[in-house]
Amino acid sequence: MKNRIYTIAACAIALLAASCSKLDNYEDPKETLKGSVIDAGTGKTVQTEQGSGTRIKLLEISWSDNPTPFYIASMQDGTYNYTKLFKGTNKISAEGPFVPLVQTDNTGATVVDKSQTVEINGTKTVDFQVEPFLRIEWVGEPTVNSDGTITASYKITRGTNDPNFQQNVTDLRLFVNSNKYVGNNNFDDRYSTQVNFNGSEANATLNQTVTITTKGGPLPKTRQYFIRVGARIDYGLKYYNYSDVKTVTVP
Amino acid sequence: MKKTIYTALCFLICWTTACKKLDVPPINIIQDKDVLSNAGGVQAYMARLYAQLPIEDFRYSPERGLNFFWIISPFPAVTGEALSRDQRGAMQENVNESPWADCYRLVRDVDYFLENIDQYSSDFSEAQVNGWKGEARFIRAATYFALVKRYGGVPLVDKVLQYPSNDLEGLNMARASEEASYDFIAADLDYAYQNMSETNQAGRANKYAAAGFKSRVMLFAGSIAKYNNITLIDGGARICGIPSSKAVTYFKAACDAAKLLDGKYSLYKKTWAAGDKEAQYQNFVNLFFDASSPENIFVKQYHYPESVHGYDAYNVPRQLMGANGYSAEVNPTLDYVELLDGLPKNSDGTLKTTTAGKYDLYTNTMDLFANAEPRLRATVVLPGDQLKGQSIEIRRGIYTGSSAGGITPLLPAGSTANYPTADIVQSSNANQTPYKLPDGTTMNPAGLSGIFTGDGTCAISGFSIRKWLVPDKPTSEVLENRSDQTWIEMRYAEVLLNYAEAAWELNSLGQNGTYLSDAMTAINQIRERAGATSLTGAGDLLSVDAIRKERRKELGFENKIWWDMRRWRTADKEQNATLYRVLMPFYAANDKKYFFDARTDERNVRYTFDVRWYYEQIPNGEIQKSQKLVQNPGY
Repeated sequence: MKNRIYTIAACAIALLAASCSKLDNYEDPKETLKGSVIDAGTGKTVQTEQGSGTRIKLLEISWSDNPTPFYIASMQDGTYNYTKLFKGTNKISAEGPFVPLVQTDNTGATVVDKSQTVEINGTKTVDFQVEPFLRIEWVGEPTVNSDGTITASYKITRGTNDPNFQQNVTDLRLFVNSNKYVGNNNFDDRYSTQVNFNGSEANATLNQTVTITTKGGPLPKTRQYFIRVGARIDYGLKYYNYSDVKTVTVP
Repeated sequence: MKKTIYTALCFLICWTTACKKLDVPPINIIQDKDVLSNAGGVQAYMARLYAQLPIEDFRYSPERGLNFFWIISPFPAVTGEALSRDQRGAMQENVNESPWADCYRLVRDVDYFLENIDQYSSDFSEAQVNGWKGEARFIRAATYFALVKRYGGVPLVDKVLQYPSNDLEGLNMARASEEASYDFIAADLDYAYQNMSETNQAGRANKYAAAGFKSRVMLFAGSIAKYNNITLIDGGARICGIPSSKAVTYFKAACDAAKLLDGKYSLYKKTWAAGDKEAQYQNFVNLFFDASSPENIFVKQYHYPESVHGYDAYNVPRQLMGANGYSAEVNPTLDYVELLDGLPKNSDGTLKTTTAGKYDLYTNTMDLFANAEPRLRATVVLPGDQLKGQSIEIRRGIYTGSSAGGITPLLPAGSTANYPTADIVQSSNANQTPYKLPDGTTMNPAGLSGIFTGDGTCAISGFSIRKWLVPDKPTSEVLENRSDQTWIEMRYAEVLLNYAEAAWELNSLGQNGTYLSDAMTAINQIRERAGATSLTGAGDLLSVDAIRKERRKELGFENKIWWDMRRWRTADKEQNATLYRVLMPFYAANDKKYFFDARTDERNVRYTFDVRWYYEQIPNGEIQKSQKLVQNPGY
């Protein structure tokens, strides 16, 4: 009797082990796509925010003319890197705070198409040359004032000559945060200054050096702050353009 | 022998009974002919269509979608009309509760009715059949409008799609342009207006409801044409956005549709009396509960116990809380209250609470609102106002500091900091420790309806909602799923506001006519009923804001404003890291008087409207079902 139980148990274990054989052996996606979104005018990457900023749009056209798009979010410095793609032919473009790479006219006909068709296999680098709506540059270094606030100077210029993308600037912020990820998605609203503009008010401040100071009184001492200026124009989804991130140490 | 014959006979008789046809329709399932061949059946069919109509009523919240019982993140707390402890910021509707699929199910039921009712037309008069067809198309129009106002252009299905079918490509429908979608709705509403009768059962639409809806829909279309900046083109159709050249056409259509209701409906003024603020206030309260109101154009009825909601339970002031333990979910912001007339104001339009840097003192909290327009009290429970025979006590705390020479503000102007704890006694919840005042009497630090520092079940903004609350509902019945007041989806005041706004826009677009003075007449009708002072001249209508402001006041807390902020394309400017403001009443122990502190939301909840939300995200499941359905920009 005991023997029989052992036999049955042994069989069961053997069957169980046999069933473990792996059948779903399609190879993992492991191709890499990386690159940058670059301001054609300055050669620098276009600063953005993670999440609702720049994203890379992939249309895998190797099996369908009308694929559902796949998006890769860009990092805040305007670079992207994705390491888990399948092999295939992709039509790649980018969306963000710059003149759209693919434009259509009122009838839906494509008038501008700067997307790139790329065979993804191994590691592929795809850069995009774009015209940002706005260029925001620091002027000099931010300083810590005697009252504990931070003052910085910046200059905003238009990044494109195309009047279709020169709408009014609607608002501007000095974003302050305690870590290097700083932007509209991530900031300390106690200290971040916000300026709203009506109509074309902001045009007068373009191409000028403007000074801005943090709000909300003195910043807590003996730590680092990460600051960044962001502004946006009244076009489409109103993406922010950003300056790069400056680190300020409040002693 | 005989026996054999009988046996054969029996056998043959049995045989004949077997001749019965077996292929009969199942008798336990109701057939089309049972429903569509008699008026009662059609009424039942219509009842189901109406029950599924996607309107944002007492059972709607953006978090949990349509037709849900538990409304604790209420719609007004998304627009800035109110604050709620359960709503922490701006949001778009929860995409997982999207009405997309349900709307198309309803459209299918309408199309089925339209395609089959003609077979039974011999059972009815022609007017009856046409009336029902019009009614069905009204329902289809309202359903498509629910889709278009959310998503822009949508696939337009106007017949019953057969599945399985040989024509799979025909089932794969692309989105129509936003313009074509609005035109489709307008055509349905025109048909409804032409074919429906002047009256109908309560809760069902008549021809004027169709006209009223058309004024609403066309105003939306015109606003999109004028204010939208977002474009998405798919297959030659502009599925997001309408050419600005169409604005005039749509605003004109809105005006024309609104005019059709002239003389058919009127503002509710049954207990209104000129110059009598108390009567005007009572009239505005009654307007929401009088089933015979001449203002009600389209309503959704409820009836306990089979069709219910919980509006009273969720929204009564804390001191009238029912046994489920809910209260004060909707707390009007100071931003809303300041819109109304008759309050003391600073030069920048904010509520005046100080004079020369010292708080103004009041014997009663209601004194601040003594000259307010009656509509305010009928919409908002003010601190110290009466509701259900009680004085609603709203107090943030007791100020115990010295008051010699007046009390300086507790915080610097614009500060978002916490109140200082020195000189202020406060309560963290409803279990209060009475404070002994200098004269020896005792007083709870906070009012019976709040404001408590650790417990959000109170008037966190310093106000509580009044609109829609049944004034005489006993507390024993203030329970979830126990309320059954009627939802007024469209009332004549909205049609007047639609008219005024469309007329103003036409004037601003250079159309000649009496548009501006017509707009003023319409606005003044509403202001007169509300007990506010009338506009006097064109100078009061220089900006469209005068009309939008009237709309926010009149239709506040009626689940309309979010859609307006979207079509005006102002939501992203209004809600840009925005802190809404509150009004905190304090009792000054040494003065035995009250003062008010106007400040930003103590929770520091900031509202930011993402520009993408002007066109909501289509559920990914729907995108994947179709080869042709294109997602809205940015998702």
